[in-house]
Amino acid sequence: MFHAFDNHPPADRPPARAQWMATLARAPLSLLEPALGEHATCAPQWLRAPETGLMMVQGRAGGTGERFNLGEVTVTRCALRLSGVAHEDAAVGVAYVLGRSHRHAQLAAVADALLQDPARQDALDAQLLAPLRQHLARERVQRQARAQGSKVEFFTVAREAGGADGDEEESE
Amino acid sequence: MNTTDLSTVGAGFSDLAIGSQAVFRAALEALSHPGRIVDLPHDAAVPAHGHAASAALLLALLDPDCKLWLSPSLATSDAAAWLRFHCGCVIVEDPSQAQFAWIAGDDEAPALDRFAQGSDTYPDQSATCVVDVPSLADGADVEGWTLRGPGIRTQTRLCVDGLPQERARKLIAQRAAQQAAFPRGVDLFLATEHQIVGLPRTTRIELEA
Repeated sequence: MFHAFDNHPPADRPPARAQWMATLARAPLSLLEPALGEHATCAPQWLRAPETGLMMVQGRAGGTGERFNLGEVTVTRCALRLSGVAHEDAAVGVAYVLGRSHRHAQLAAVADALLQDPARQDALDAQLLAPLRQHLARERVQRQARAQGSKVEFFTVAREAGGADGDEEESE
Repeated sequence: MNTTDLSTVGAGFSDLAIGSQAVFRAALEALSHPGRIVDLPHDAAVPAHGHAASAALLLALLDPDCKLWLSPSLATSDAAAWLRFHCGCVIVEDPSQAQFAWIAGDDEAPALDRFAQGSDTYPDQSATCVVDVPSLADGADVEGWTLRGPGIRTQTRLCVDGLPQERARKLIAQRAAQQAAFPRGVDLFLATEHQIVGLPRTTRIELEA
């Protein structure tokens, strides 16, 4: 998974928001659901109801090459306002998550809207984001450990000197 | 990549399919009966600027392949962000590139021939203009515009209230000038807060003093 963004974040948007949106998008539902408590059950005011579609993922070979289209992924997105908040100052929660789970997109957007409120931010950060980050870190370590188990060391047997036909590049 | 501030954006149709179909049905009726005033029911939280009926009409018609031209006061208002968010349409600076245009009541409208006219082979590649007007009235006894053409039995009367005489005269003169280029031309919608009138390119308009 990519952790660095291709472009620098725009100056008028706090980079923290991009980070928590990324965390929420990767969060498992089993952690999101209890952490949001009553906010998870309230019906939000939809700005854009959850919708599932395809999104083209682009990659760069080696991180520096030309962009190319890697393939399409299924993405569910939504945008909402929390209910019971006045229209003018209500923060808009937005979520883009991989997969087809409308519920996941909704909860991630609710959390995004809540986190934009400075009064709630610290409490939510401890209650929701910190366990999520721990969970994701643990998952990452486990995945790396699994991959580590199948690691193969490649090595090349040095050719004996006085080479055969294929050695032209080396000798010149 | 420019981002829009979502905090001022209102919701679209509460049910996308039913909401946009109801508006499309109204637009169809308006275009097939030129000069008939058609109610435009919708439940979208339309932007503060511009007429509600125009906003709902464009919300139903536009999609990400559409290019939209907005008159200056609309282009800088919340209407631009609202349509971009819900429709994904592209907002263009040059009227000749646009497939749709929305002209607010107080703005100076560019001449109709500055919009895309289509070609003789593809007359559908022309622009559709939505013009905000203060109020509309129809009926035989009203003074105003006389409409003739396909979709009208003999003639019908339409009164566009509040549109400055000068602007109305210019609009009708530009329409008349386009008639010779048929099938090329521009289709018009006039919109108040809750109603629309369709004036397809086939409708001939005469202004009565």
